[in-house]
Amino acid sequence: MESLYLLIPIAGLFVAVGLGIFVWAVKRDQFDDLDREGERILFDDEDDK
Amino acid sequence: MNKNACFHCGDLIPKNLSITSTIDGTDAHFCCYGCQAIADFIREEDLSNYYQRRQSNAINPNNKNTEEYKHAFELLKNEDIYPLYVHVDNAEHHIQISVDGMTCSACAWLIEKHISDMDGVESMHINLSSSIATLIWQPSKIDLVDINSAANKIGYYFKPYRSDIEDSNRSERRKSSIIKLGIAGVGMMQVMMSAIALYAGEIQGMEDSFKNLLRWSSFFFSTPVVLFSALPFFRAALRDIKTRHFTMDLPVSIGIGLAYVSSVYALFTNSGQVYFDSVTMFTFFLLLGRFLEESARQKAQKDNRNSDELSSVTLIKNSDTLLYPKSKLTSGDIIQISPGEHFPTDGVIIQGHGSIDESSLTGEYLPVSKSIGDPVVASTINVDQTLQIKVTAVGTQTRAAAIERLTQRALSEKPKIAIVADTIAHYFVICVLIVAVLAYGVWYFIDSSQAYWIMVSVLVVTCPCALSLATPVALTTATNKLKEYGLVITRGHVIESLASCNHITFDKTGTLTYGKFDILSISHKNKEDIINYCAALEENSVHPIAKAFNATKHLQARNVMNYAGKGVEGEINGTLYRLGNWSFIKNWGNDKEYASSEEHALTLFLATEKEIVSVITLQDRLRTETNATIKNLRKKGYSVSLLTGDTKASSLSVLSESSFDYFITDQTPEEKWDWLSNKTDLQHTIMIGDGLNDVPSLAGASTSIAMGQSSDLAKTHADALLLSNNISTIENAIKLAIKCKRIIKQNLFWAATYNGTMLPAALLGYIPPWSAALGMAASSLFVVLNATRLSK
Repeated sequence: MESLYLLIPIAGLFVAVGLGIFVWAVKRDQFDDLDREGERILFDDEDDK
Repeated sequence: MNKNACFHCGDLIPKNLSITSTIDGTDAHFCCYGCQAIADFIREEDLSNYYQRRQSNAINPNNKNTEEYKHAFELLKNEDIYPLYVHVDNAEHHIQISVDGMTCSACAWLIEKHISDMDGVESMHINLSSSIATLIWQPSKIDLVDINSAANKIGYYFKPYRSDIEDSNRSERRKSSIIKLGIAGVGMMQVMMSAIALYAGEIQGMEDSFKNLLRWSSFFFSTPVVLFSALPFFRAALRDIKTRHFTMDLPVSIGIGLAYVSSVYALFTNSGQVYFDSVTMFTFFLLLGRFLEESARQKAQKDNRNSDELSSVTLIKNSDTLLYPKSKLTSGDIIQISPGEHFPTDGVIIQGHGSIDESSLTGEYLPVSKSIGDPVVASTINVDQTLQIKVTAVGTQTRAAAIERLTQRALSEKPKIAIVADTIAHYFVICVLIVAVLAYGVWYFIDSSQAYWIMVSVLVVTCPCALSLATPVALTTATNKLKEYGLVITRGHVIESLASCNHITFDKTGTLTYGKFDILSISHKNKEDIINYCAALEENSVHPIAKAFNATKHLQARNVMNYAGKGVEGEINGTLYRLGNWSFIKNWGNDKEYASSEEHALTLFLATEKEIVSVITLQDRLRTETNATIKNLRKKGYSVSLLTGDTKASSLSVLSESSFDYFITDQTPEEKWDWLSNKTDLQHTIMIGDGLNDVPSLAGASTSIAMGQSSDLAKTHADALLLSNNISTIENAIKLAIKCKRIIKQNLFWAATYNGTMLPAALLGYIPPWSAALGMAASSLFVVLNATRLSK
């Protein structure tokens, strides 16, 4: 169980990095359009094949 | 598929009309050739995926004047204006475009696909939330005007757009709330994981060192949530204290602040209990509710931003005509308005006479005839003739702006609907604070070492978390459910007032009816021939009456002349015909006799110089669901009234007086509002309307709903938008609102009972700290789960 002393801080680090990326993404306008991006994947782009 | 609805735009297909194409192997029926042309074009371009993917119907292309959009891009070529809108990067130019006509993400896909494939277009990216597209193109290869007309072909309309300060402020605010929400959400999940381990540890036993580790980790994850994400609540609470006007923000802040501070104290002194899990969950759910409400409100307001678009008008200067930006017009300028264009400003006609569609102002769908010297009003539409007007008022001086001001007044006089929880929470918090202080005082004399912890447990046990979550979570869930029905809520009080309403007021034209004309009767043995003759005469007319005639066989009319406010004249197979109102026919050639029987319907005459060929009566069409909805509402005990600017006669032609409790006609916008505000016995009124003339009463009614096709101003000022344009939705919405209110009451009852029963135990010092924390989380969770029943 002593591994928790290492694992929890590591998990915390991951969360911090994840949140950092999230904040970066929001600031880079990636969350400007909440209505559309979720559905983009549903429109297959035959051009990309 | 519904055979009566247009495949493309979903409008009702007029009787006797059959326009079909084969799209993806099925027969598609259309309401007009415009829709058919778009659908055919989309099919030819291999983009008919659009029809499978879309979630809502497209807009009808007939109401759009493509010239207006084309002119805007021609005006853009002016070298003074170009740099204001276009960013030049060597051979590539960048521009922002406001896109009109998008209804769902399939639309955005369709436009991007179609435009990006054009030669010379580098990239096209559309933001659906704001309806703004970013286009990068090479002017040496393709003209913007052509890009716009390519978009017109698939049913969308572009205008150059320039974002202003308010736009960037709004987007900053939005970004900041997304970040706050994201941090609260992630923080909540992390803290919950630790919390579950801690609960299990309390039951099974856990070494103190691990317990400490978990407590510290939840402290680290919850601190940004409290100090950053919850900041808006603290700020609002401070403002509340300064203005002495208490809202829910104060108890919320006290709840978050106290639970956090006492948890931190417990952590550092290694005593008591931590409540980080409850704090973060509470913050997250509250932020989520506020974020959704704010997004809905912004969506409703985005339509109202004409000032940032480049709009072009035709200015007459030294007898030359030139394109000129609308924003630079001043009083005294002379401008020319082509048929189908909106009047950009108020003015006086100085040349020409024609029909003017004032429906956005008066609700009257029949155009009004005007000639030299008559005033015209901004936002009304020039129907059939080219007119020159002298500008008399621009911007805030116009009549439309005056109605806007009237609306502001009505809004400020609107009765505030007190939200039950606000009042309860207000007194509750005061009581709790007094009790906690008393408990501290009493215990100080009994056992001073316990006094502080007893006070904390009193405060935590009675923390208004569940109490203040009780209302917002239920409201958020109901708001989302209503959105599925096609009713978008833009003000927080709507659900509360939908549930308590007892009176529903409808506007007529455009709300209960479609605002389109249908043939009621034709006095001739061969009706089809008459329709074909009329259709031939009206072929090039944009007058709403023309749309009532749909030819089954195409005839050619020659020498067609439009007489504004009277009718049309033209030659078919060598005979001269006139189609128009009585005064147009009466004294033409031989004197004619006609005894009117159907006074209230709109009567047209088809005549030759010698005789009347046929008498045609037209009427506005009632929405298919109108009668059933009104009947159901009255059966349930709501009083229903009609409040319209139309004449009594024309109202009676489609509706019967007996199906309403109040049948109020011939009202000006001001009178409508007066009538509503004087009806004190009808305080809980829902007003449903669509036109500019409804705006003051929309703002003044306790709850207002604007139809999805409303004028922009009506949309901005309504509390909710009925995007489905289906008024039977109101019935479902009221039902859901009542259910929502019931769930709020259950939630409040639960929260109050929980807090109330725990309080005496906490006062006596009987509550073990871990069970207080578990109970607090459980009571919040109960409230959230109870609310999710609404989404079923």
